[in-house]
Amino acid sequence: MNAIKLFKSGWWILHVAAVAFFFWLGHAVRM
Amino acid sequence: MTNKSYVKICLIAGLLALSLGGWILHTRVHPVVKNPANVIPVISALFGIFAIPAMFWFRRTFHAAYILNGMFVILGSITMAHFSYVHPPTPLSAYNLIMKTTLPDILILVSKLFTGMALLRLEFFPSGAATTGKIGRYPTLGWWTVHAAGIALVYALGAAIWR
Repeated sequence: MNAIKLFKSGWWILHVAAVAFFFWLGHAVRM
Repeated sequence: MTNKSYVKICLIAGLLALSLGGWILHTRVHPVVKNPANVIPVISALFGIFAIPAMFWFRRTFHAAYILNGMFVILGSITMAHFSYVHPPTPLSAYNLIMKTTLPDILILVSKLFTGMALLRLEFFPSGAATTGKIGRYPTLGWWTVHAAGIALVYALGAAIWR
């Protein structure tokens, strides 16, 4: 599936959620 | 039992053993009570022991298992690298970077990615089939590489920008 199909099919929602999650995780994880 | 089933069981058992070993080691070294971030290996281990092996077994859940397996490898690699970044060895020599960081732990974890890939080849490609030739497309290593790089970048931005 190429990037255009990815975003037309609805998978963009998962990607936005994943980006938000990992961005938050980088902030939240304190070593 | 067919050879394919036997090999599949062995590969899944390998993933299970790695998850169990990883969980025990993390519990020993990083108790959750000491740092909330230590819950990450616990969640990863629970998925790796109870969900992902079972999901690999059935075709309907196979792709979800494949993606989850790889994503947990990426998550573990990034968080362990972060740990070494925050606790670097002194002095910062080449020897210490290899021997005194989480590099060996990350390499052990990465074996799970390749085990998942072997499971996929076994399940969906009849023996002797050529590789797809698609670079960067699911389910190739290139696809994992771009996702690992992207996730690492986003995680690093979160750590650096959002303080």
